[in-house]
Amino acid sequence: MENFDVEIAEILEVDSVNMEDHLTSFDCWDSLTILSIIALASETYHVTISASDVNGAASVGGLKSLIQTKVK
Amino acid sequence: MSKVQYILVTGASSGIGSFISKCLSQNYNVIIHGRNTDKINQVISECNNPDKQLAFVTDLQQFEEIEAVLGKFIIEKDIEVIGFVHCAGFMNMLPAKMMSVAAIQKTFSTNLFSAAMIVKVLLQRKVNAGALKNVVFISSNISNFGAKAFSLYSASKAGIDGLMRSLAVELAPDVRVNSVLPGAIHTPMTSAIFQDEEKAKSMLSTYPLGEGFPEDISNMVEFLLSDKSKWITGQQFTVDGGRTIDISG
Repeated sequence: MENFDVEIAEILEVDSVNMEDHLTSFDCWDSLTILSIIALASETYHVTISASDVNGAASVGGLKSLIQTKVK
Repeated sequence: MSKVQYILVTGASSGIGSFISKCLSQNYNVIIHGRNTDKINQVISECNNPDKQLAFVTDLQQFEEIEAVLGKFIIEKDIEVIGFVHCAGFMNMLPAKMMSVAAIQKTFSTNLFSAAMIVKVLLQRKVNAGALKNVVFISSNISNFGAKAFSLYSASKAGIDGLMRSLAVELAPDVRVNSVLPGAIHTPMTSAIFQDEEKAKSMLSTYPLGEGFPEDISNMVEFLLSDKSKWITGQQFTVDGGRTIDISG
């Protein structure tokens, strides 16, 4: 998942992200962003996550851990 | 001696296509198409007269190969294909900012381009001897509407309905061509929509007739393949429990 930070920054429409950033703190945070993250997990990492998984992850780091766990 | 006649159903190894194939096997010989041989054989074993049904294994995303692969299949089996039901579909909820060339190719190859190439093959006299009489495309009720994250899928379904109308005009009176536009039916392809139980419940509450099932689509397909619809071509048949006509606040 070496490009995760760049990929998630692109989805969140910012230049860079920190692992402790809260997902809901981003200006573009909405249902379409959640769908974009679900699509990223599916298309790039071949794992299935739900909208409630994404909401439950809370932070960028939490999201990365969630996908990492599923990849393994 | 006349050749044995078949209906070709694409995307028949699971979901609506699998159900349609099993229903059609009551009255027709069916070519069960899919990508996975084991899954196809499972569907065939659940059909009426399993020994009469044929497996056709190919990946429709490689639509450039369909002309050669399907033509060879029909000639080698020495059969006639009288009907074609295009059930194969790919759906991925993808917001506009996540669109990619790969996603566009995958969606359109499966949902639209492959259907066009299959019709072309089935019209070739040297392959199918003018046997084709009926085509039914499984479109979607989103073909005429819109929804967030469905841009590519709805464009591909609108495309297949455009293909359907022009083919209906071009191929009349020999071949009838129609589309069935289902609402959301719980299948492996739509599992993402039904993943969240609460959201699924909320969505299904917008269907005046409640949840729909594969048999609801299959019944319409059987009607369109039968002589009961002999004066119908070039039409979209929405089968969605009233979902798209409900403008209640």
